[in-house]
Amino acid sequence: MQAMSQNQLAAAVFLFQLGSSPLFLLAGAAKGDAWIAVFIGMLAGGLLLLSATLPIFRKEPNLTLIELLPKYFGRILGTTVALAYVLYFSYKSVRNVREFGDLLNTFLLPNTPLAFLLLVAVLLSAYAVYHGVEVFFRLMEFLFPWIILFYVFLFSFAFMSNAVHPENLEPVLEHGLKPVVLAALPELVSFPFGEMVLFLMFWRYTESVPKTVRTTLLSFAGAGIFLVITNAIILAVLGKLSFFAVIPLLQVTNLVRVAGIVERMDPVVLLLLFTGVYLKQTAYYLGAVLALSQVLGRQWRRCILPIGLLIFVGSLAFRSYMEQVRIGFKLNLNYHFPIFQIVIPFILLAVILLRSPQSRRAED
Amino acid sequence: MRWFGHMLPFFRRSGRAKRRDSASGSRQGPRDSEDLTASLSRSLKKNLSRIRSLFGDSADLTVRELGGRPGDSEVSVLYLESIVDSDFVNRYVMTPLVEWTVGRLHGDRISRLRETLPVGRLVEMDKMGDLLTHILNGYTIVLVDGTPMGFAASTTGGERRSVEEPSSQTVTRGPKESFTESILTNMTLLRRRIKTPDLRVESFTIGRQTRTFVNILYIDGIVLEKPLTEVRDRLSRIDVDSILDSGYVEEYIQDELWTPFPLMQNSERPDAVAAGLLEGQIAIVVDGSPFVLLAPTTFVKFFQSSEDYYQRYDIASFLRIIRYISFLVSILLPSLYIAVTTFHQEMLPTPLLISLASQREGIPFPALVEALLMELTFEVLREAGVRMPRVVGSAISIVGALVLGQAAVQAGLVSAAMIIVVSFTAIANFVIPSTNMSSGARLIRFVLMLLAGTLGLFGIMSGLMVLLIHLVSLKSFGVPYMTPLAPIVWGNMKDVWVRVPWPLMKTRPIAHFQRNKIRQGNSFAVPSKHDRKKGEKSP
Repeated sequence: MQAMSQNQLAAAVFLFQLGSSPLFLLAGAAKGDAWIAVFIGMLAGGLLLLSATLPIFRKEPNLTLIELLPKYFGRILGTTVALAYVLYFSYKSVRNVREFGDLLNTFLLPNTPLAFLLLVAVLLSAYAVYHGVEVFFRLMEFLFPWIILFYVFLFSFAFMSNAVHPENLEPVLEHGLKPVVLAALPELVSFPFGEMVLFLMFWRYTESVPKTVRTTLLSFAGAGIFLVITNAIILAVLGKLSFFAVIPLLQVTNLVRVAGIVERMDPVVLLLLFTGVYLKQTAYYLGAVLALSQVLGRQWRRCILPIGLLIFVGSLAFRSYMEQVRIGFKLNLNYHFPIFQIVIPFILLAVILLRSPQSRRAED
Repeated sequence: MRWFGHMLPFFRRSGRAKRRDSASGSRQGPRDSEDLTASLSRSLKKNLSRIRSLFGDSADLTVRELGGRPGDSEVSVLYLESIVDSDFVNRYVMTPLVEWTVGRLHGDRISRLRETLPVGRLVEMDKMGDLLTHILNGYTIVLVDGTPMGFAASTTGGERRSVEEPSSQTVTRGPKESFTESILTNMTLLRRRIKTPDLRVESFTIGRQTRTFVNILYIDGIVLEKPLTEVRDRLSRIDVDSILDSGYVEEYIQDELWTPFPLMQNSERPDAVAAGLLEGQIAIVVDGSPFVLLAPTTFVKFFQSSEDYYQRYDIASFLRIIRYISFLVSILLPSLYIAVTTFHQEMLPTPLLISLASQREGIPFPALVEALLMELTFEVLREAGVRMPRVVGSAISIVGALVLGQAAVQAGLVSAAMIIVVSFTAIANFVIPSTNMSSGARLIRFVLMLLAGTLGLFGIMSGLMVLLIHLVSLKSFGVPYMTPLAPIVWGNMKDVWVRVPWPLMKTRPIAHFQRNKIRQGNSFAVPSKHDRKKGEKSP
């Protein structure tokens, strides 16, 4: 059995939450208060984590989400929902792969065909998935300090080059709390804070339930605060410009100049972003592979190829980056993802609680 | 070779090795099974003729017959002249035997004989196979007419190299001894450093034809059971005709064949091996090889040099960081150069870009081809430098430096910047203390250059990502290769990026491979702040 340490879990939760989030100005609708919106989103996401995802794990620490569904929903309904989750995980991976490919095409390799870049992205993920949960989490553990170090350097360079203007953040809560909450609540819970449902696939590899709960929450909060800081810095550096930039963080990088040596770090920052996106897409890929193997009762390595093909073909299906972003932010975040992130987990938890009153009493 | 007698307990076979020998004796021997498992005959004449035919009348097989009439002697002494210490044989085997035969002692002849021979290790045997093994290992065999038994007296000798300074792992400060080809000498060098009965030795005989002694050493109480049984199992699974160097053993027992990274350390320095043993590693000493293997190992171990521990900690830590950077330079620099000059010129500061561009003006090749050309040239030069006879050494450096370097630039074939990149890469590669890690880096470099030439920085990133996934997936005898970085082991960090002062390294670096954590008591000359505080609290 593959096992995962608490360090690895912490790194994974953090990097997974980070993922592609620094690419966007989250909750742009809240304008200058976007960073407050991120904070509210984090609180809401944390509440979801506390009230649905983690309790499911506490009740059934030895089963994954996909194994739970047939157990509590019956075979037919459960398997259907489980297959829906396979698609959901794959689709999330597709979105990240496509982001990966499009950004590469736009900023680093304009002359390379998009399909080839997507193929490389999927193959890179497949290589990690092939090595399994243990290796993938060790990879995150290894990368974690370097990625954080890099962000810290980037932000301190931004401060050193006098690009940060905190007055851009003022006035705080100009229109009251309401628009900020509205910007945060449906959207930010789905992306990125509600995505912890994927970890129902991975938690069972950990050893101690209470420690896992604690580590997850701490790391989740850490990642949330990190995103709040990132958002605040982007707003402070770019001001109004941040609502128009394709990748605000890249604009920030453009303004960094230290001592005539550290400048034009855009490609490096892009690579950093790619690493984040890559880890997230791989996490979903791995989740989808594990899910499919558990639905079908097959060896998980056999599912790598079909899921990989699905992700590759799926990522080719979007017509453009803009379409991808539009579908993602307008439709998926508001209508589709909440089903998987909020509705089904709550129903599942309710069924678990209803179906096991005896066992609860026995424990008491 | 007087110390020889003391060394012999090392040669005692472990139960496992013995079982293995008898089980596979028929397969290992050069003859069919009948000859080797057969017992010795009562008749001395028969025994002698069988042994002679087994050896095909080899010129160095010496048979000395004593007592009785010629051709019908009472006692025979057999040994291979080439691998015994003949002075020792004459003095401690022949002399007493002559006295024994002349004295015609009666009574229990065999037990008398046993008392007569003044050698440290005397083995009785009654099988032809045993007899062969012993005689081939430099023992002298004594056969007596009328008994189906023989004695083997340890008289191993012969010429061997003396202990010299290490040639490939040199230090400016620290012990200057290195291992030799003789397993006995090597064991001496190690025993002298670790004087505890907990230093355990198990012996294996591997190789159908070469019958090479392979000893594994470990310190009981520090080593972990799991890697130890792994090493034993894997060693006893080797079935091959020859083991001529520890490199053979390494390739047979490493966890993963398809990797550019070394999964076992090798060292020609007894002090380095002793240090490894004390950290819970298992040493594998192969007869005939001056390189001793250490397992399990981790990635960071290849960046530690013995000297780190003999020099002051500050300079040692500094040098260690330099080594990590050099490793990165040696795998990344050419590919970064290619990627930046072909795909991402905007990354360079303008003056540098202009200077590079003007140099590259008129160069007939794309950067990738230029870099591959120069890197390959360097590899050729390097190989030539290793293989050529010493006397023509200066020719290579002249041709390399002047003709290929300066002239190539002047002729406009390659840019001067490329020469700098290639040279710096090459020099950085030599900084890595272990050759097997640096040769891995050389191969990776070429792959990354190709990736950089096709996909730019993204290619390099993809390559590095694959490399990282590969690295974290590797294990050395069950220990994750990237320990203590992934999985993180905080207790080991004091000997990874820096080497902290000795008095602060209270625990062994628990790289998942040992028990008995505490390395030292409080050896501060001056009590530390921490200790003083403790003292105040509890008077």
